[in-house]
Amino acid sequence: MISRLSKPLIFVLALALVAAACSTSSNSPTTTSPPASTAPASSDSNALTGSVLISGSSTVEPISALNAEKFNTTNPNVSIAVEGPGTGDGFKKFCAGETDISDASRRIKDSEAEACSQAGISYIELEIAIDGISVLTGLENDVKCLAFVDLYALLGSESTGFSSWSDANDLAAQLGSTVAPYADVPLAVTAPGEESGTYDTFISLALKPVAKTRDTEKATRPDYVASPNDNVIIQGLSSSPTSLGWVGYAFFVENQDKVKAIEIDGGDGCVFPTTETIASGTYPLARSLYLYINTQKAAEKPAVAAYVDFYLSEEGLRSVAEAAYIPLASYEATIAAWDQR
Amino acid sequence: MVVSAPTTTEIVAQHLAGKRVPIGSIVFRAALLMALLTSLLILVTLLTSITAGAVPTFQERGLDFITSPLSLDPATAGVWSGIVGSAGIAALVTVIAFPLGIGTAVYLEEYASRGRLTNLLRTNVRNLASVPSIVYGLLGLAIFVRVVNLIGLSGTSSGRNILAAGVTMAVLVLPIVIITTSEALRAVPQTIREAGFGVGATKWEVIRHQVIPSAAPGILTGAVLAIARAFGETAPLLVIGVATGFFAAAADATFVERVTGSYTALPVVILSWSKQNDVQFADTLAPAAIVVLLAMLLTANAAAIIIRNRFDRNQQ
Repeated sequence: MISRLSKPLIFVLALALVAAACSTSSNSPTTTSPPASTAPASSDSNALTGSVLISGSSTVEPISALNAEKFNTTNPNVSIAVEGPGTGDGFKKFCAGETDISDASRRIKDSEAEACSQAGISYIELEIAIDGISVLTGLENDVKCLAFVDLYALLGSESTGFSSWSDANDLAAQLGSTVAPYADVPLAVTAPGEESGTYDTFISLALKPVAKTRDTEKATRPDYVASPNDNVIIQGLSSSPTSLGWVGYAFFVENQDKVKAIEIDGGDGCVFPTTETIASGTYPLARSLYLYINTQKAAEKPAVAAYVDFYLSEEGLRSVAEAAYIPLASYEATIAAWDQR
Repeated sequence: MVVSAPTTTEIVAQHLAGKRVPIGSIVFRAALLMALLTSLLILVTLLTSITAGAVPTFQERGLDFITSPLSLDPATAGVWSGIVGSAGIAALVTVIAFPLGIGTAVYLEEYASRGRLTNLLRTNVRNLASVPSIVYGLLGLAIFVRVVNLIGLSGTSSGRNILAAGVTMAVLVLPIVIITTSEALRAVPQTIREAGFGVGATKWEVIRHQVIPSAAPGILTGAVLAIARAFGETAPLLVIGVATGFFAAAADATFVERVTGSYTALPVVILSWSKQNDVQFADTLAPAAIVVLLAMLLTANAAAIIIRNRFDRNQQ
C-alpha cells in the first residue's frame, strides 16, 4: 500500500529528477561518443573534444567569454567555461592547477609566481589588449582637465571628508595644481571597490606617484560610494552633475550620453581618453590586459591550445574591440611568445 | 478632584449613542493600512519596472529567449544554461535536504527526550538558519569541492560543478526544512497521537499514518521556502566557482560529463548580465531573466500548493 504521504513525495522527486534529466540532455544532437579525455588531437576541428577552464579578471572576462562563444560555434564538442572572480582569485586557482588559463588585468605578482613555481606550474604570459581608466563626471560639469595632483587632492587618502570640490583647494594649492581653485559644488564620489582590479590600477597609476612624495597611504579616500558593478557606478555618476569617479574605458564608451570623461594630465598636457590616445600610450591612465596559459595543460589538452590559437587569430583578436577594449598596436610579440612555448 | 473611570455600561452607552469617537482605534487602523500600502507600493514598483524591461525581450525573442544558451550578443543570448543549472541544483536540494531535514525534525520532535542536549541542538539549528549564505559558500569550497574531487567526480571542472553546488545549497536550506517541519509537527494536537496509541498503534504507525500527514501542509510550506532560497542564492555559488562569463558543455557530452562539468545558474546569469557594459543586457535581458526566475519559483510554489490541498482533502 502506498500511503498518503509517500505518493506526493514520490511525485516531487520524480518531477525533480525529470527536470534534471531533461535539462542535462538538452541541445545534444549526437548520441554516444568516447570520453573526452581519450580523444586525440585532430586536424579536423569538429573532432576536437575536451575542456577549457578560464578564470581570473572580471575586466578581461568579456573578451575571453566572447572568444569562448565564437570558439564554441566551430568546436561544439569542447566544453568551455569562463568566470571572472578577479585577477587575484584567478591566480590562486591557476597556481593550484585548477584552471587552464587565467585572465589578468595586471602582471602576476612575485608572491603569486612563487605559488605557481612551488606547485610546479609553468606558464606563458600573453599581452592581449589595453584598457584605459576613464575619470568621469556629470554631463554639466565645467571641469575639463585634471592632473595627477588634482586626482590626489580630490580622491587620495588626504581628501577624506571633503564633501565639496572647494574643500580640496588648500591641498591642491600645496601640491601645485594649475586647475585649482575648484568651484564650491558638491563632490559626490562613486567608484569601484577594493576588490576590483580597476581600483588597484587607479591607485598605482594616478595616486601612488603623489602619495609617495607626500609619504601618505597609497589608497583612495575611504568615504565614497563603492560598487563592484560598473553600471551602478555610471548610474551614481550621472545622478549628480558635479560627481567624480572612475571606471574602465569600455563603460564610458557605452554611456557617453550619461557621463562625461575628464582629460587627464600625466605631466605632458591634457589627454582625452580615446581609442587612439590609449593605444599609443599618450593617455596616462592605461593598463595592459594579459592571459596566463598553463604550459603543461596547453601541451596535454589540445582544446586549450586550439582555444589560444583561436584567441590570437584575426577573428579572435577582433573580440578585443568588440568587447570595447583597445587592441595592441602590434600582436607580433604576443604571437611569438605563444609560438615559442 | 478625583475622576472616576467610566464603567463598562457607560462606555457601551456612549458607543451606542455615537457620542464617543474611538480616535486611538482609527489611528491604529490607519497605521496598519499605511504599512500594508507601503509594502504593496514597493512590490508593485519592483514588479512594474522589471516587467517593463522584460516585455520587449519576450516580444522580440519569445520562446527563443528561454531555449537559447548564453551569449555575449544580446540578440541571441538566452537563459537555458541558467535554467538547467538551477533545476539541477533544485533537484539535488530536493533529494538531499528534504529527507535529511524532515528526518531530523521527526526525530527531534517525536523520539528525542526533552533534555538539555535536545534544546542545545534545537538552538543551534536556529542559529544555523541565520548564518549568512556566503559562509556556506566557503564551507562548500573547503569541503564539498574537495570531496567531489576525492571521489573522482571532478569531471572537467576541477570539482566546481553542480554536484558541489547542489550539496552546498542542500546544507544551506537544511535548517529551514528542520525548523518548519518541527513547527508543523509541534502543531499536531497531542490528542491525535493519544488516539492512535489508544487503538493499539505502534509509535512508528502513529507517526507515519497520523502525525506526518497532519503536519504535511506545514512541511510543504517549509519545502517551498527552501526551494525558493536554493533558486535565488547567488553568493555561495560565486564562492564555490560558477561560470559567469560564458559556458557551454560539449555538444556530445554524456549525462555524467554534464553533471560533473562546469555549470551556471539563473541568479548568476542575472548578476553577470547586470554587469555587462552593453546596457541592453542590464536594461532588457536581465529583467527578462528575473521574470523567468520568478516563473520557476511560482511553478515550484504551485506544485507544493496542489500537493498540500490534496493532503487537506485527505484529512477531512
